[in-house]
Amino acid sequence: MSEEKSPRTLKIDVLRYDPNDKNDFPHIERFEVLEADGMTLYIVLNEIREHLDNSLMFDFVCRAGICGSCSMLVNGRPTLACSTLTSKLDAHITLAPLPLFKLIKDLSIYTGEWMRYLNEHLETWIHAKEEVLNFDKLEERMDPALADEIYELDRCVECGCCVAGCGTIQMKPSFVGAVGLNKVARYHLDPRDKRSDEEYYELIGDENGVFGCMTLLGCEDVCPKDLPLQSKIAYLRRMMMKTALKN
Amino acid sequence: MKQEKIDKVPAWLDFTQSATGLILALFIMGHILFEASILVSNELMYKVTLMFEGYYFFGETYPGIVSFLAAAIFILFIVHAALALRKFPSSYQQYKIIREHTTRMQHEDSSLWMIQVITGFMMFFIGSVHLYIMMSQPSNIGPYASSHRVVAEFMGPLYFMLLLAVISHAFIGLYRLALKWGFMEGKHPEISRAKFKLLMKAMIAVYIIVGLSSLGKYTYIGLTHDFSDGVKYKSQTIHMENH
Amino acid sequence: MKIIYTDVLIIGGGLAGLRVATGVKERGHDAIILTLVPPKRSHSAAAQGGMQASLANSKMGEGDNEDVHFGDTIRGSDWGADQEVARMFVHCAPKAIRELAAWGVPWSRVQKGDRTAIINAQKVTITEKEEAHGLITARDFGGTKKWRTCYTSDGTGHSMLYAMDNKAHEKEVEIHERMEAISLITDNGRCYGTVARNLMTGELVAYVSKTTTVATGGYGRIYSVSTNAIICQGIGQALALETGIATLGNMEAIQFHPTAIVPVGILTTEGCRGDGGLLLDKDGYRFMPDYEPDKKELASRDVVSRRMTEHIRKGKGVKSRYGDHLWLDITNLGREHIEKNLREVKEICENFLGIDPAVSWIPVRPTQHYSMGGIRTKYTGESQTLKGLYSCGEAACWDLHGFNRLGGNSVSETVVAGMLVAEYISNFCDSPESSMQIHSSKIESALKCEKNKLEALLTKENGEDTYVLRRRMEEIMMDKVGIFRNEKDLQEAVDELEELLKRSKNIEVFRSKSRAANPALVNAYRTQKMLKVALTVAYGALLRQESRGAHSREDFPARDDENWLKRTITSWPDANQTMPSVSYEEIPVATMELPPGFRGYGQDLTKHHHETKMRLSTVEAVQKRLEEEGASRFEIQNALMPYLDKLPKKYRQINERLGENI
Repeated sequence: MSEEKSPRTLKIDVLRYDPNDKNDFPHIERFEVLEADGMTLYIVLNEIREHLDNSLMFDFVCRAGICGSCSMLVNGRPTLACSTLTSKLDAHITLAPLPLFKLIKDLSIYTGEWMRYLNEHLETWIHAKEEVLNFDKLEERMDPALADEIYELDRCVECGCCVAGCGTIQMKPSFVGAVGLNKVARYHLDPRDKRSDEEYYELIGDENGVFGCMTLLGCEDVCPKDLPLQSKIAYLRRMMMKTALKN
Repeated sequence: MKQEKIDKVPAWLDFTQSATGLILALFIMGHILFEASILVSNELMYKVTLMFEGYYFFGETYPGIVSFLAAAIFILFIVHAALALRKFPSSYQQYKIIREHTTRMQHEDSSLWMIQVITGFMMFFIGSVHLYIMMSQPSNIGPYASSHRVVAEFMGPLYFMLLLAVISHAFIGLYRLALKWGFMEGKHPEISRAKFKLLMKAMIAVYIIVGLSSLGKYTYIGLTHDFSDGVKYKSQTIHMENH
Repeated sequence: MKIIYTDVLIIGGGLAGLRVATGVKERGHDAIILTLVPPKRSHSAAAQGGMQASLANSKMGEGDNEDVHFGDTIRGSDWGADQEVARMFVHCAPKAIRELAAWGVPWSRVQKGDRTAIINAQKVTITEKEEAHGLITARDFGGTKKWRTCYTSDGTGHSMLYAMDNKAHEKEVEIHERMEAISLITDNGRCYGTVARNLMTGELVAYVSKTTTVATGGYGRIYSVSTNAIICQGIGQALALETGIATLGNMEAIQFHPTAIVPVGILTTEGCRGDGGLLLDKDGYRFMPDYEPDKKELASRDVVSRRMTEHIRKGKGVKSRYGDHLWLDITNLGREHIEKNLREVKEICENFLGIDPAVSWIPVRPTQHYSMGGIRTKYTGESQTLKGLYSCGEAACWDLHGFNRLGGNSVSETVVAGMLVAEYISNFCDSPESSMQIHSSKIESALKCEKNKLEALLTKENGEDTYVLRRRMEEIMMDKVGIFRNEKDLQEAVDELEELLKRSKNIEVFRSKSRAANPALVNAYRTQKMLKVALTVAYGALLRQESRGAHSREDFPARDDENWLKRTITSWPDANQTMPSVSYEEIPVATMELPPGFRGYGQDLTKHHHETKMRLSTVEAVQKRLEEEGASRFEIQNALMPYLDKLPKKYRQINERLGENI
């Protein structure tokens, strides 16, 4: 038999909707694309736009799995489209925008607004003791292992997959989600941030924070960066419990 | 640093839900094993009931102990249910969203939670019935009395549903509890999680087999035993006046 | 008609833009950032390997200081850089990195004691000093004398960008997302902001400001394969060009990175080679030592890319359906090192190639990577010709990189430039001359003009297909304005690009007619702009008859300082022009701290400038005299080329390092 298999025809079902168009309604549109070697959904979607429908809207920026722009539901699961090889999927692929975020059009969603609100709400920046620091002097020392540990949590790309994968937040949109909890864990770990446990408790010690998490672990299982979300949320839960006991 | 007074209630609610869940799950694990003593012999099952009525401590039986235990469990059950209720979908809209979410995601742990919601909901009713009977008729526990309740008092189907519900709810709950608080997560949480999940599934299987076998045995006794003498069990080794 | 007023308008939310915004905010000015994507998604995030700053904490960085960093940068630029700017930069880089450390970047740190590293394919043990423990560490990068590239694993740009964006949140910088600047508003030789289009709703908004900063990054996407994010389309440069007043510098200076994966062109960091990775050919043979016996894989980027191309041309490339490539072998670094320090590389290999780089070689080839050229500015970041227009980062050419940028100098430049330009802008805004004198009718007509252009694209009939023009442009740039260039190809490229530009005036947006979110419309107006940028690159390359840094002419292989020690300046004074106007700006030898010399790669073909010899002897004499007098290195430097007075006061202090100035 011939080793060269003829390429598959991919059937791509895209959930489309243009909220700016009053006559439009959410509907599925099917596109057929001939599969190529090493093809990713980035290539697929661009082919569709270039050859089949130039109005198809989607977001890619780095197209290398680094920036987190292209999160969407691929066969129902949130993931980064740019680093999804079609060879790992069936020939029939469904694409839909992530739920919960504001829809711009088709697969394009407005994660920026959501994440900005989250960052502002959780104050995800270093709260230093003194504001004016002298940068001519040697930098503050940090334990090398701790720096690595902080970086591990700093790798989040705010793609929103954990939010879309979280059952809790679907029902209760005021929940901060794994992305928010991970950020708090990151700053809690960071000795440069001088916030007290009580201040962190104020941020996440309620049903919208760590105590709202029901440990469905959708976040952990869909995170494209393999962040240790389950373990960090557990850590925060223990920390916050301790803080409550302490007071 | 500013030292504001923090609201500790959410922490306590969360902790209490976990703690009551843990106690109830451990209780169930024991309960089903004790009840399975029927598989060994009627005699053993009888001795187990005597034990719970305090016979081996006081030399005579006090069914009130069982009532008391059942009441304690009932309280834990109610507290746990009340706290868990906070997490339930609170409207049809929410229910629809979570249903769609779990169907779409095909994600095991999310689906397991749905099972907990459904089984938890079931237990509001059948668990309450069961607990109430245990509280109100503590002395009606025994190889024949229980069998009679299963068959003649039509509790069999209810027990069957309760068994499936409570076992899956309890072990999924224990699994979730371990992950929730990072119990024994070790250096590789993903590996311990996989192990816990395997353990959970194994325990569910084992307990369902044991539980169904016991239920089968009670049903068998309930169908074949001659209850014309009443439902009291006559032990060959222990003779009591009031039993 | 929607008009938004502010003090400081910044176009682009990457590292440079965010740093400017934070800086001016601290000085009490209002700032608005316009960005195509959430700032955290900017291309800055893709910088993997690191940021150069001469901290000299690690053992292999011992003895490093501003002077060494300066020398490396100038040699790397093939003497094309502005030496004063380079001095300002190397002086501020340590401050910038320490500032970022305080703002939350979890820089990888020095671990005292022994550790194993791979240098030149040999395992060596490096013993880190006790007193350096916990300070910021560094890795080796190409073209540097010391290990100077500070990093966080291989997510340096990511962690820098996140820290910076978070800082901007703290400072309450206003960020207007998915707002695309489509033209600059100018009046009376001054820039007053921009007309922007909301990419979600299509609404046109005029942003009117005292100063406008373009920090939109490079123009890599005029090439069909590039390591750049797909938003790096040179729109910022085009906006400046279309004012007819602002100028662009050295647009032909395009860097090709040696190791992008084949075929998709995603970058694997220079850190791979810095940490000990090797380049192999189809026979598994390590060929770089044959070409560059001294620096081998860690020669400057332009050199390695050329050597790789030469080697492929000798038939030593690995054949593949996507063309020939070579191998990058990092298997010798060991799995532990890869999983800790080269995580993104590992993920990229797994996701896009389906291989494990700890056991398999990575298929790589040189790919367009960086734009040294950009909006020509003074050292203050202000356009030389258009008042009120500033630019910094990759978008600008203030000229730190000359004709070749050193790895690790780009993210470093973004934050240093952002830091400095923020001060210069604030100074301007504090001065009375910053007050705005623009009539509202000017703003209205600018808005109307853009609206008409968009309408024309949507309503045109029997026009040109954007995609056809765009793809052709990308191909031309790729095939004819690549690593090795020659007159014939460049001439063809220029001719055809000019033709494409003419055709682009006739673009029609087919089918997709929405005035709101409409990718086809966006592609149409951007392609028109990109073609202009492509022309400046190709035309500049055609005219420059020498080889300097990344600009390598097969027909003019020598660096020709006598005739070409100058910057290419392009502008577009008349909108109806179909070719850019080109002029040149001399790079004065007489004031150089480091007079032109031989970079040390291959054969020395340099045709020296007639002033070089004299300047060299002056410099040597001054150095000798002052050294004998016991002057410090700072005094010597100051005698050769004073620059400190150009820096904002707060950044003039001497940097502390282990064993120096403490």
